[in-house]
Amino acid sequence: MRQKALTTVYKLAKQDPRVLFIGSDLGAGTLQAMREDIPGQFFMEGISEQHIVGFAAGLAQEGFIPYINTIGTFLTRRSFEQVSIDVGLHCLPVRLLSSGGGMVYAPLGPTHTAVEDFSLMLSVPNMKVFAPADAFEMENLLTALVDDGDPHYVRFGKGGETIVTQDFPTFEFSPKVFGENSSDVVIFTTGVMLQHCLEARAHLLSQGISTTVLHFPYLNDLSIEQIASHIESARLMVCVEEHVPRGGLFTQILHEFASTRISTKNLYQLSLPSAFSHNYGSQIDHLDLNGLTAPKIAAHVEALLVNNGK
Amino acid sequence: MTTNYVELANKIALDKRSRVLRSMVLDALEGGGRGHLGPALSLLEIVRALYDSVLNHDPSNPLLVSRDRFVLSKGHGCLGLFTVLADHGYFPTSELRGFCGFESNLGGHPERATLPGIEFSTGALGHGLSVGIGMAMASRLRNEKWRTFVLLGDGELNEGSVWEGAMHASQHQLGALTVIVDFNRMQASGDIDSIVSLAPLAAKWEAFGFEVTEVNGHDVEQLTEVLGNSINPHGKPRVVIAHTVKGKGFVSAENSTAWHHKAKIAKDEISSLRAEVAV
Repeated sequence: MRQKALTTVYKLAKQDPRVLFIGSDLGAGTLQAMREDIPGQFFMEGISEQHIVGFAAGLAQEGFIPYINTIGTFLTRRSFEQVSIDVGLHCLPVRLLSSGGGMVYAPLGPTHTAVEDFSLMLSVPNMKVFAPADAFEMENLLTALVDDGDPHYVRFGKGGETIVTQDFPTFEFSPKVFGENSSDVVIFTTGVMLQHCLEARAHLLSQGISTTVLHFPYLNDLSIEQIASHIESARLMVCVEEHVPRGGLFTQILHEFASTRISTKNLYQLSLPSAFSHNYGSQIDHLDLNGLTAPKIAAHVEALLVNNGK
Repeated sequence: MTTNYVELANKIALDKRSRVLRSMVLDALEGGGRGHLGPALSLLEIVRALYDSVLNHDPSNPLLVSRDRFVLSKGHGCLGLFTVLADHGYFPTSELRGFCGFESNLGGHPERATLPGIEFSTGALGHGLSVGIGMAMASRLRNEKWRTFVLLGDGELNEGSVWEGAMHASQHQLGALTVIVDFNRMQASGDIDSIVSLAPLAAKWEAFGFEVTEVNGHDVEQLTEVLGNSINPHGKPRVVIAHTVKGKGFVSAENSTAWHHKAKIAKDEISSLRAEVAV
């Protein structure tokens, strides 16, 4: 996904001199072809996220569209004030491309795991927050929104994710629906958790449990009215996200349910805990520990259905 | 012989225009009943020199593409900037008296969205240099000739982000960037040397790859000459260390932390200050 994002930025930059790439001491060879081809649009700056976000804001103020890429925690935690004031307050088209969303960098420990990035970025006025599920959706997103005048935060997965959005060839802000109307179970998710949720759906369908997965690549406005028919018919709704419990997709759902007077009686959450993990291992280890892998999502749904008197 | 800039800055007499501008600062201060007086007065001659004689700018067209950019990174010094902008016709001088009012365009820190002539909203310290570096880079990328000036406070140099920016400006040899340090040697809680000493300040900037010039920050002629010097857009970025006096022009406010920021200012305090700059 990251590779596709960066090559998409290169492609966009070839077509549009306003598009710039700014890295923060990324690995040697990152976008080497772009660096050699259009060096005036390529910046590999030092380890200085605060400066880079301000630098990008200055460029954007003058009409450029800077795409910044570095590790998500550094973009969101380290440079939060620059993101909020230089970018958000001025509503500038700076793109924050966030490597290692969620537990991707689990082996590197809690300084590197972006588990509250949605919460931080959604709190910034004017910031649009995106979490595409695969490289196909990432390319569509970046290409479709190059001229959007607002700031963007885009969460990356680990890379190599199975392509599951191929039936949606153009990017839309509204949720992507995987399933039919009138399902017993509706699963809300975002980002690379979509793949896990689709696997869980396949298992549930095999057990005779009708299930629809709703994927929200855009987190600011969930367009609930467009999926109202799915929600109204559901006996059970579960939000699955690779994020701390508060401030992410589940919180957005609660806000929209409250504003549209939808009941949360049958709504549940599966997420990371509100804690810094002191385990390492892999992303999958952490997803599994917290019930976020496909078998555990499916088992959780089945248990909830039993408890709710299916 | 080493120039004693501190002594020069303290001794220099203010001319009529500087006294008139101070009187306008008092209009805003009186209207708002509060404000950062000391920081506005230390930078007033710097901003005056820029807008009177150095910057290419057009008050009737604040977004003129070819204008030089000026970022007041120490946003709390905005009373000085507001006064000079109003005096140049960016907005009516009558608006100064609305300072900090609910519906005013003039808040306690400058905002681009509300006031013509404000290049970038500032207030949180340590932001303006990096933003200015982005602007200077934009000028270079488009092969345009306009220059970027960023005014930093000396207390602001405590912020690490300033030095991140300094390293990058030097790395890119952004000669069209001029940093000005309002070196009044005080910050909110006291003398800089008693909090975090900046010494040796000129040597620090030199070590960061800047061409350094020191000036008397209240000498308009000297400021105009130094800030207006020709530049090599692909050479070293430059820094002008302007030695100033916090609260310059008002005896009770000079070198006083009490006037760094003051709220609930009494009418008789304003009257007393106004008498000092009567023209």
